Amino acid sequence: MMSINGVTIAIVLFGIGLLGLIIRRDLVIKLLALGLLNGSTILCLVSLNSLPGGVPPIIRGPSAVLYVDPLPQALVLSAIVINFAILALALVFVMLLVERYHTTDTQRLEHEIEREETS
Amino acid sequence: MIVALLPLWHFLLAGLSLAWERGTRGMMLLSLLLDATLVGVLFGQFAGGQTVSVVLGGWGKEVGIVLADDQYSLVFALLALLLGGAVVAYLWRKRLRPYFYMLLHLLFGSVFALLFARDLFNIYVIMELLTLTSFLLVGYEKRADQIWASLKYLVLASLGMGVYLLGVAIVYYHTGTLNLDLLSAVISSSGDVPQWVSLASSLLVTGVAVKSGIFMFSLWLPAAHATASPAISALLSGLVIKMGVVVLLRLALVFPLSLSLEVLSAVTGLLGIIYAIYTYDLKKMLAFHTLSQIGYLVLGIGIGSEIEIVGSLEYAVGHGLFKGLLFLAAGAAVQATGREDIPGLIARRSRIPLATRVGLLVGTMGIMGIPPLAGFCGKTLLSNGAESLVIQTILVLLSIGTVISFAKLIPLFRPERGSSSPWPEKVAYLILGVPILLFLPFSRLFLSASQWHQSFGVFPFVESLLVVGAGLLAHRFLRKHPLRLPKRIFHLEEAILIILVGFFLVFVLVWLG
Repeated sequence: MMSINGVTIAIVLFGIGLLGLIIRRDLVIKLLALGLLNGSTILCLVSLNSLPGGVPPIIRGPSAVLYVDPLPQALVLSAIVINFAILALALVFVMLLVERYHTTDTQRLEHEIEREETS
Repeated sequence: MIVALLPLWHFLLAGLSLAWERGTRGMMLLSLLLDATLVGVLFGQFAGGQTVSVVLGGWGKEVGIVLADDQYSLVFALLALLLGGAVVAYLWRKRLRPYFYMLLHLLFGSVFALLFARDLFNIYVIMELLTLTSFLLVGYEKRADQIWASLKYLVLASLGMGVYLLGVAIVYYHTGTLNLDLLSAVISSSGDVPQWVSLASSLLVTGVAVKSGIFMFSLWLPAAHATASPAISALLSGLVIKMGVVVLLRLALVFPLSLSLEVLSAVTGLLGIIYAIYTYDLKKMLAFHTLSQIGYLVLGIGIGSEIEIVGSLEYAVGHGLFKGLLFLAAGAAVQATGREDIPGLIARRSRIPLATRVGLLVGTMGIMGIPPLAGFCGKTLLSNGAESLVIQTILVLLSIGTVISFAKLIPLFRPERGSSSPWPEKVAYLILGVPILLFLPFSRLFLSASQWHQSFGVFPFVESLLVVGAGLLAHRFLRKHPLRLPKRIFHLEEAILIILVGFFLVFVLVWLG
């Protein structure tokens, strides 16, 4: 019996993100799915290395208390910033494509660009 | 401290080149010269048996960021400097925005940072930085096909890095450290391989493979490398792809990846070469060829014996040099003739400047493995070190395929009078061409005297000449039978599905091996 915890939620979210990336044809929705997928990896990293009942790692008084490992949190901060940068830059490029082709449909974009290349 | 300084000061210069518009070009050149001195100092220390290692911020080795150098990082730093010099020379007369030089500085900063990085998370951050920089570089001219190619690259690379991060999470959960040296101690001490190691290492390999040009995973590569402007294609194909290979090498030293990397190398080598043979667009052909040549590098890493890794490194440097040269010369040839397809280029070959044609010739000879040029050295070492018959066969097939795909260019080299190139381009060809021609004595640096004499006897000379002959014959035959290969796999959705299939393949192989 699988209990509901951060890791299982992360796996489900990863699956939803991957599915969205594959089956949705709209480029903006694809990017949202990518954001969801990357968010789920962050959730996985944090919750896999969490310590239920631990206290924040700030040492006051006796050190025999169970402290949470601060490293995963420090790691995911950089990962969150990186994912933000990727989404922002990708959306800028989507804007450039939309200005030119007036569509965010990946199949049509692929088709139009292939046609321009061969002509 | 040099290992920390080399990446950091490029990031500083990246900001500075936006502020000071007129000096960007000179600043780029000066920074590369200073890099060369610093790398030279590191080489000197390494030759004296001294490796540099620092932990940033005064933390312990388990949690701090470790920067260290070894033979692998120094060799690739040398390649980065040569390619950087050639690209700066090639672009000397072109009018470029300061923004472009900012991106170049970011690229070199992250390349150096990745070479010295020693923990999984630091590698993740720098690989993402490399992704973002090369994404912006591919789309620099803002043509629609460039933007679409770089967008596909960004989505696939980001997916790959997400998968990589899952692997990082599992590794940290089980070991409590991300430092590669400590990890290798933990894993080698645990006897038989635990279950989590196969899952984590297949996640990590899948993530890195997306960035390092392995056929099933890097289906963004042909479009991105073929549409980017020539100098950028040279950097991406020659250098950025190799950074993924360096990370694969570091992973292979820690995790049990032999079997999976050998299979992946056969897949990428053979499929890449088939696409390269049947592609008649010059830059696209070069891009497909990158996919196939990664097969050599990954094969050496997969087998993992000392001589194979040396062969793999030599071929990586050689490939960086001749693929860089080919992309630069191809760009100049396309510009001179206005045609991108090889028959069109051949029809208008009198318009191609002489230096450009010589550059193409040297690159082609190097990549075909004609002795004693650069390709020959790496290929010989790889096939000498390989023991099993299957691997030998794959290597010979790859070499023949390389010759077939480049035999299409031979009519370009008929001696003819041509116009003259501008001098910066000639300098660029010299920087890359001379090391290709003088590679055999240079490879003495990697090997002991006895290994060197064992490796380069008469037999490899004859063998590689036979391979070239067989390739030319096969080209005459195959020319009459064109083949249409599926193009759909390079679409975004299909590429993601194939990555998924590739992940399961890697997982099964790691689990079996």
